[in-house]
Amino acid sequence: MAYQDLRTYLEALDAEGQLIHITEAVLPEPDISAAACAITKFGDKTPALLFENIKGYTNARIAMNVHGSWCNHALMLGMPKDTPLREQFFEFVRRYQTYPGKVEERDSAPWEEVVIEDDINLFDILPLFRLNHGDAGFYIDKAAIVSRDITDWDNPATQNVGMYRLQVKGKNRIGIQPASAHDIALHLKKAEELGEDLPIAICIGNDPLINTVAAMPILYNQSEYAMAGALAQEAYPVITAKHTGLQVPWGSEIVLEGKILSRVREGEGPFGEFTGHYSGARRMPVIEITKVSHRRNPLYEHLYLGQPWTEVDYFIGINTSAPLHVQLKEAFPEVQAVNAMYTHGLVVIVSTKVRYGGFAKGVGMRVLTTPHGLGYAKVVIVVDETIDPFNLPQVMWALSTKFNPQYDLVTIPGLSILPLDPASDPAGMSPKLIIDATTPQAPEKHGHYSQELRDPVSTEAWVEKLRELMPKA
Amino acid sequence: MSKKIICPRCESEHTDILTQSPVPGVWEVYHCEECFFAWRSTEPDFITDPAKYNTEFKLTREQLDQSGIMPAVPPLKKR
Ligand SMILES: [Zn+2]
Repeated sequence: MAYQDLRTYLEALDAEGQLIHITEAVLPEPDISAAACAITKFGDKTPALLFENIKGYTNARIAMNVHGSWCNHALMLGMPKDTPLREQFFEFVRRYQTYPGKVEERDSAPWEEVVIEDDINLFDILPLFRLNHGDAGFYIDKAAIVSRDITDWDNPATQNVGMYRLQVKGKNRIGIQPASAHDIALHLKKAEELGEDLPIAICIGNDPLINTVAAMPILYNQSEYAMAGALAQEAYPVITAKHTGLQVPWGSEIVLEGKILSRVREGEGPFGEFTGHYSGARRMPVIEITKVSHRRNPLYEHLYLGQPWTEVDYFIGINTSAPLHVQLKEAFPEVQAVNAMYTHGLVVIVSTKVRYGGFAKGVGMRVLTTPHGLGYAKVVIVVDETIDPFNLPQVMWALSTKFNPQYDLVTIPGLSILPLDPASDPAGMSPKLIIDATTPQAPEKHGHYSQELRDPVSTEAWVEKLRELMPKA
Repeated sequence: MSKKIICPRCESEHTDILTQSPVPGVWEVYHCEECFFAWRSTEPDFITDPAKYNTEFKLTREQLDQSGIMPAVPPLKKR
């Protein structure tokens, strides 16, 4: 069964030894981000952190690193925590392809317990803190943000749930970064063309799946809730927030409702981003919060971002790879698996069967023209079907031996890329690179590949035999 | 507070106390009306002290006013 709120997921993590309770009194800065950075130094099986005693607050609790390991990712999907990454990927892809899943509208939600409409002070309600030293202030970076097209309000297909960074600038005033390529920017444009504010709901402390979906590159007319239902393999519970009329997760801890002020732009940033670099400062839209609802003693959840790998890399790893895998396979059924886990897919590794000379380069071209690839994929490495793209030593072997720079390197100039890529020049533009690290097939014939090493004949049987004999932990 | 609070980032005096800790006396949060920087009294001095603030991250109102607009404000239309 899927976890319908953050609390039950944290309980499950705790039961599996995947949660550390931090009971000592900590300062909001720099303790919380330092600890959240430190936990990432322990590899890819790390637990979540729950800070239970934050100086200056009475009851606040902050959950960090909730998505910060493959163990936690497996548990989110209801799989054993030691499930290999590759298996998690294929299960994610399988469920993704059952879209649309069911969505269940409920009448009441725990987050309606406490309501604040007058004298809102977000700092009293949320234990906000600075994440990285160069950040402009106190950000909310793990909220599921809901908006609709005000000119097509009753069409639930265009409702969007996305994750955009939020800079808390005042007691009820928040800066938002709705990047032009994202769905919320379309909603804002339509509202601003009419000179109207855009209603918005900011949901914090959610079940782990809706956050995974909110950060996932799905299509404009796909519903995030129906995607969450598909990934959960059961109905995803939502409720209509009365103040704005937007559908929000039933299981959220905190729901902030308000509006993006029409045609207002104001200084925002910098903020340390998933690229491992700060974003710089720009003028961006502003939100005014007019209603706050939350559970009693709400849990505040925050995402740690630093120089990779940190929580954000686990958070946007498989959910970036899966849609790309499915879109690529529609054009080329020969594709075996896609690993787009490096900086949200700035580097993409594709494993494919190669039908004839030049085929792998064609697959690489298609990566660049997928919806996500257009804005992200900068370096595409194509490897043989025998290579597991999630196994970097195997990928490096392919690069080391199958790749000949004279024949296998394709550079395409003048393509689009997300402006946050610090290498882009000007910001938002970049050449792109395809590296064909597959074994040449006729009529291509450079190199000497007829004598590749293979495993001895009974190796597979021995793997099973030795697995049984292996000392048990 | 009698002495002026200077923004560590843009060094403007247009600053204010944004909020105080729910447990009285533990910390205060300040914000700058010019560059929208916010900081807490208990942060390390390289955040709170204008003289020690990382020069790479210094930012003035003028620089912000010349920064890019994202996303662009569209022309007004009739419904
Ligand atoms: Zn300032």
